[in-house]
Amino acid sequence: MAAPLPTRDSVTTIREDGSRPFLFPADTHGRFTLARRVSAVLLIGFYLSLPWIQVGGYPAVFLDIAERRFHLFGLTLAAQDMWLLFFVITGLGFSLFFVTALFGRIWCGWACPHTVFLDQVYRRIERLIDGDAVSRRALDAAPFTGLKILRRTVKHGLYVLVSAVIAHLFLAYFVSLPEVWKMVSAAPAEHWSAFAFMAVYTGGLYFNFGWFREQLCIVICPYGRLQSALIDDNSLVIGYDTARGEPRMTLAEERQRNAAHLLAGLPAGTLAKAGDCVACSRCVHVCPTGIDIRQGLQMECVGCTACIDACDDVMTRLHRPRGLIRYDSQAGFSGRATRWLRPRTALYGVLLLAGASVATWALSTVRPANLGVTRIIGAPYIVSSDFVRNQFLVRLVNKRNQPVQFVLRLEHAPAGLRQTGLLEPVAVSALGEVVQPLVLQQPRGLYHGPFALTVRISDAADSFHLSRQIEFLGPDVRLLREEEEEQREPHAPGR
Amino acid sequence: MREPTPPEQDTLRPHTFDGIQEYDKRLPNWWLVTLYATIIFWVGYWFYYERAHIGPTNSAAVEQQLAVIEADRLAAAPSLDDASLWKMSRNPVFVDAGRATFETTCASCHTKELTGAIGPNLVDHLWIHGGRPTELYATVTNGVLAKGMPPWGPVLGSKKISEAVAYVLSHHREGEPIEVQAAWVPPPPK
Repeated sequence: MAAPLPTRDSVTTIREDGSRPFLFPADTHGRFTLARRVSAVLLIGFYLSLPWIQVGGYPAVFLDIAERRFHLFGLTLAAQDMWLLFFVITGLGFSLFFVTALFGRIWCGWACPHTVFLDQVYRRIERLIDGDAVSRRALDAAPFTGLKILRRTVKHGLYVLVSAVIAHLFLAYFVSLPEVWKMVSAAPAEHWSAFAFMAVYTGGLYFNFGWFREQLCIVICPYGRLQSALIDDNSLVIGYDTARGEPRMTLAEERQRNAAHLLAGLPAGTLAKAGDCVACSRCVHVCPTGIDIRQGLQMECVGCTACIDACDDVMTRLHRPRGLIRYDSQAGFSGRATRWLRPRTALYGVLLLAGASVATWALSTVRPANLGVTRIIGAPYIVSSDFVRNQFLVRLVNKRNQPVQFVLRLEHAPAGLRQTGLLEPVAVSALGEVVQPLVLQQPRGLYHGPFALTVRISDAADSFHLSRQIEFLGPDVRLLREEEEEQREPHAPGR
Repeated sequence: MREPTPPEQDTLRPHTFDGIQEYDKRLPNWWLVTLYATIIFWVGYWFYYERAHIGPTNSAAVEQQLAVIEADRLAAAPSLDDASLWKMSRNPVFVDAGRATFETTCASCHTKELTGAIGPNLVDHLWIHGGRPTELYATVTNGVLAKGMPPWGPVLGSKKISEAVAYVLSHHREGEPIEVQAAWVPPPPK
């Protein structure tokens, strides 16, 4: 019984009545399967080990939301450095554009956590418990007997267990491992919000990887939908070499045709050559999203390379060259050369490079401290008998995990400016914050109108510094002089 | 399971955009489940909040949370009267904590010796805005905007303010005379 081939007019995993046929993709073996497995193991190892590795006294990645300190490979960012997120987001965008224009959806097949965890963790568990595609399909159709119930229980139990482990390590990114361990050891009621988060997250992972699977890529993920906008004829995609493969026919059909040709007494050389595709449908059977790659590039294709390995395997057995299904561009499949350098890739490349340069520069401006200077509530300036006075609050934030002595200095201050407050170095504890007043007074005689000056802080060794320009406000200098005149005049003799 | 309809028999939606037409296919059932679930949720939500008024309105919820914050603040702030502030001023723990706050925050105007510079002298018997402990506390909390004394309430909070007031009071004795001063005249600049 040959199942009908997928068509491009409807989604394979949505039936006419809206129900979902569950896919049972067959196993593949080959170079891409192996390479993907190796890279996936490395990626999973990398993601799961980040909270365990210590860099500069903190986990390699520790997004401490409670304290608003973000530790990334030894670099500590505070909430005030949030603007750097701009570069992260635009950088991700441009990288995605650039990589997609060159290599198509290589991200989906090789690096997306959804694919990586689904193919290398959950599908492996399923393979272990339920066997290959044929047994899985048979088991799915079988009635619920003792053995089936046992297998289902073990499989879903393992799914939940793995989901819980992933969820816990994910939480460790935000609260650090010791804290996760502490919460795990205590009763759920003591931190019900974390517990609820964990339960929901575990449930979400279980649902996604246990049942939802390719529906995420096909229906929810926006990246696949952008495919047609992000790639062109010269982007690398997985495709079927129609020119070489067609007309496809099974080996039996080919033999029959050849025999008929010879029987009709036609010369051997006049027979149009049969294509290399033997219509074995292996490429369809191994596809995790249920498409037929021979119908061309489709939105559902996540570039997982399963069909390449499946077809290469068949071609090798038939002593035909492999690569009937392969990584190539649409141009390559139609016999032209792939152009790597084109306006699109050049533009994306330049934009990416520009963004990366600015991001590098921006990151180099991050200091292990923050300085804020704000005017104290109340009158912007106060005029006393001798001085014009401005009052500021200076906020010093220490982002390092050791105490720092901050030294404050005024720059570009006019002659005569008097400073009170913050004259001596200020000690700020590790990751601490200090707010202190800074009072500036300019003698009336030396006041010639509002001016700007710079507040500069550094550590005692001057290993870094931060500056803020502030505005010293005051009355119009003519008004001040008039007032002085008026005060003097009553005492002037002879008036 | 129904066989897929051949493409030529499929229903087409009536609209056309740039020559592109779409088939009229059924949505995935799991997707419809989410749609119907949100509709059912909406009915319950609407009944709970809008019809039966079992749940609080947004403004009531905000008021409720503000009341919680206010209650916490009231619970945290000691009930301050002259007697308790005087008592604090004799407690070395309070006074030491108050000294730290005073020297980092207040000393830039009142000097470390409390003898006054930009701001008035705090060790003599002359008071401009009241010399009773609760008056002192109010002056620090609310400030005297016209003269440049900032309201420290939002910056320091009631605990640090009461400590700083206790520190100032530790330079005084209960029952000593309080004289009213019209205004502070800063000492001539050196």
